[in-house]
Amino acid sequence: MGVPYIPVRGLAGTDVFERRDDMMLAPNPFDPNEITVVALAQNPDVAILHGLKADREGNAILRRFGEDVMVAQASRRTIVTVEEIVDKVTPEDTSGQFISSINVTAVVHAPMGAYPTGVPGRYPRDDEHIRRYVNASASDEAFQAYLDEHVMSLTEDEIRARFAVPSAK
Amino acid sequence: MPAGAVDLRCNTEELLAILMSREVHDWEISACGAVSMIPAAALLLAEATHAPHAEIIILGSDELSHNLGKDIHFLTQRGQLELFFHSALQFDADGNFNLHVIGDPNAPDRRLPGGYGSGLMSYMSKRILFFRTEHDLRTFVPQVDFVSGAGVTDERIQRSNEPFKVFTPIAVLRFDRDTRQYTLESVHPGYTPDEVQARTGFPLVMADPVPVTPPPTDEELDALRGEVRSRMIETGTYPDWATNVLRAP
Repeated sequence: MGVPYIPVRGLAGTDVFERRDDMMLAPNPFDPNEITVVALAQNPDVAILHGLKADREGNAILRRFGEDVMVAQASRRTIVTVEEIVDKVTPEDTSGQFISSINVTAVVHAPMGAYPTGVPGRYPRDDEHIRRYVNASASDEAFQAYLDEHVMSLTEDEIRARFAVPSAK
Repeated sequence: MPAGAVDLRCNTEELLAILMSREVHDWEISACGAVSMIPAAALLLAEATHAPHAEIIILGSDELSHNLGKDIHFLTQRGQLELFFHSALQFDADGNFNLHVIGDPNAPDRRLPGGYGSGLMSYMSKRILFFRTEHDLRTFVPQVDFVSGAGVTDERIQRSNEPFKVFTPIAVLRFDRDTRQYTLESVHPGYTPDEVQARTGFPLVMADPVPVTPPPTDEELDALRGEVRSRMIETGTYPDWATNVLRAP
């Protein structure tokens, strides 16, 4: 959108509004009888999105539902990780939501990249693992232990072996 | 059966679904959120009985969610959503409700999701129905711990000014934004207005006499346990809940 802020109806008078310094009350310039909450534009430095496939130009097919394209448009840079790299991705591909290379900075081939959440039609969500992740997030120590066990201590080959993903080489 | 002296022939969840279904208007757009079993049953019951042309959106359903994504937000912001269901942890005398935290907001005893719906949906849907499966002084308090939605706001804030209602196992309360007061709209069979007041932490305006809530009818009970229960199971609309909570016909 490229707007500096956006008016939102709702939130006035709530403690959510009171606690946020990126929201203010402002008059509607076209109607002196109305004030609205205005929310500061959110422009992340980097968005990382996971999709089904991409081509080498950076055109990609993202999950069917959700606001991923809008997130990419709001961000300064967008990295799209995908289950597979294909020769050509076009908007006619209806397996998911098309995102143009215009909005994509880089593509990473990352099979199983959504794990422990799932990709519909490819692999399911792992509820047990998500439960472990949530429990680990209760403290810094537990989360560090989770990271050590599932991420930091594993080599790329070990991770590929765990998910039965063939080596890229 | 609820704990009252009168047998309403149903459990609390069935009672709330039936009472709230009566508030759904035919030809209107009505919706409920992502973890909303009782409202889902209420919407389907309305469609099965008095509101066959109601447009219903059940966000937590496999087949009845309409896959709206951000469109539910924009539909509501435009003021085109006519009825939305809400729960809350606390309600207070000023019509504020809390769906965020219990205790000190900076060090809460319990913290819950719900901020989104509270601050936006409840202001911009035309009508709101709240429900609680209990009615006690923990829920109806003089002042909420955290304002997720404000009962009354600056008159220059555009929002729905319709009254909202709160359905509980013993009564229906109604908050009017113009008078800034809760009225005891009706008391369920088997309970007294004094009992409802004693279990509510702020004063209720009462008519004399306070109307008695019309109990569930045979038609409502049959439709809920027959058509609605089957439909929930078949459409992936909280099928486990429907199986276990709605009595099989």
